[in-house]
Amino acid sequence: MDVCTFEKVGIRGTNIVVLGVEKKSVAKLQDERTVRKICALDDHVCMAFAGLTADARVVINRARVECQSHKLTVEDPVTVEYITRFIATLKQKYTQSNGRRPFGISALIVGFDDDGISRLYQTDPSGTYHAWKANAIGRSAKTVREFLEKNYTEDAIASDSEAIKLAIKALLEVVQSGGKNIELAIIRRNQPLKMFSAKEVELYVTEIEKEKEEAEKKKSKKSV
Amino acid sequence: MAATFFGEVVKAPCRAGTEDEEEEEEGRRETPEDREVRLQLARKREVRLLRRQTKTSLEVSLLEKYPCSKFIIAIGNNAVAFLSSFVMNSGVWEEVGCAKLWNEWCRTTDTTHLSSTEAFCVFYHLKSNPSVFLCQCSCYVAEDQQYQWLEKVFGSCPRKNMQITILTCRHVTDYKTSESTGSLPSPFLRALKTQNFKDSACCPLLEQPNIVHDLPAAGVLSYCQVWKIPAILYLCYTDVMKLDLITVEAFKPILSTRSLKGLVKNIPQSTEILKKLMTTNEIQSNIYT
Repeated sequence: MDVCTFEKVGIRGTNIVVLGVEKKSVAKLQDERTVRKICALDDHVCMAFAGLTADARVVINRARVECQSHKLTVEDPVTVEYITRFIATLKQKYTQSNGRRPFGISALIVGFDDDGISRLYQTDPSGTYHAWKANAIGRSAKTVREFLEKNYTEDAIASDSEAIKLAIKALLEVVQSGGKNIELAIIRRNQPLKMFSAKEVELYVTEIEKEKEEAEKKKSKKSV
Repeated sequence: MAATFFGEVVKAPCRAGTEDEEEEEEGRRETPEDREVRLQLARKREVRLLRRQTKTSLEVSLLEKYPCSKFIIAIGNNAVAFLSSFVMNSGVWEEVGCAKLWNEWCRTTDTTHLSSTEAFCVFYHLKSNPSVFLCQCSCYVAEDQQYQWLEKVFGSCPRKNMQITILTCRHVTDYKTSESTGSLPSPFLRALKTQNFKDSACCPLLEQPNIVHDLPAAGVLSYCQVWKIPAILYLCYTDVMKLDLITVEAFKPILSTRSLKGLVKNIPQSTEILKKLMTTNEIQSNIYT
């Protein structure tokens, strides 16, 4: 059950992983930079969460420390599955301890392993985790997931830009007021996390709208 | 008197109530101070129905003063937001009065000088058809105040030729079902109607053993059943009790029922107004991301 209203989408492409989130409208006097929903856990892993912000902060801090501890101990960066399992185990502990309550967050964790394969995992407050090819969390997760089920094809994820466009299109299904409320982050193989600026997101949104118009024109021509 | 295991003798309480009864009665007798406190509390918790222009109390109940053919009541912030965006936006509604009350749930402690923005229960009628009434109730009406509210609004002998529609929300954890709660499509609507309500509801009826609580049920619906007034209650079970777009939109099937037909004109504009309402509300909370 997701109490949070804001959608997050994660897509696993062939050479890229994409995390898209719905931006929350901030108060005028609030510094937007402090309202971040996509956080890097390490150079090659990042996470988006839905739920209680304060709980997420605690989980992220623990995960970040674990990533570095792992690197120093075994001299290898964590695999995405390892850090997901760590977070999930932490969450499960809090469901079985007295005097504590579960962490009120669901998370999407994406990244690349050393073997070059992209990964996407989802965790929830119970401490379960599963691997996904594409998933959404948030209030309208069902709608977004249905869209992804219809549109996630091998072609759609073959190229980086197509995977990015798929993530944006999925969010546009449920996000009100379009592209300016979308935040996007990608990780390419062997490259660090890249956060998209509002302009870059706008460019993709314009491209998507153009493609939609062209598809509609073709449809109307066919029917005529 | 009874002896314990250790040999001491203790006075055992006697349920028959014998020699100590007189002493206890003296203690129970109300002192003048107690009476004064009790009367003060009753005055504080009084439900007052005030006229819009003059802010004076109405001498008779609202529906005795004004003829009514249709009465739509929204209780709770999501139901109120739904009526504000979809119904109140589609016509000219004039405020006729408001109900002011105080209980422990209210955020203000000053009961005598409640400002107009704190009028928690506001009554409107449609200018083009003054027998259509609407009530926006965003405060909690406590159990001891519900009967007073009903009397001040409906009166002791209500007319039978009116139709009442009540909209309210409840948390989905209150919904009793044999299905797994994880699979429930919340938010979802359920309806409960009085015997005299002959039309069909736009959603399934509330299944047993679920019950409806507080003013919508204990108050209005029971009252209508007793007085044989056709009334229907639409209850939205949701997992988000605060103001939420998806919960408010779950009320949309009601727009096609006879209760609201003719009162709703501009649905796309209503959706825009609703979104604006949500954004102003969203900004205030930083707890969730």
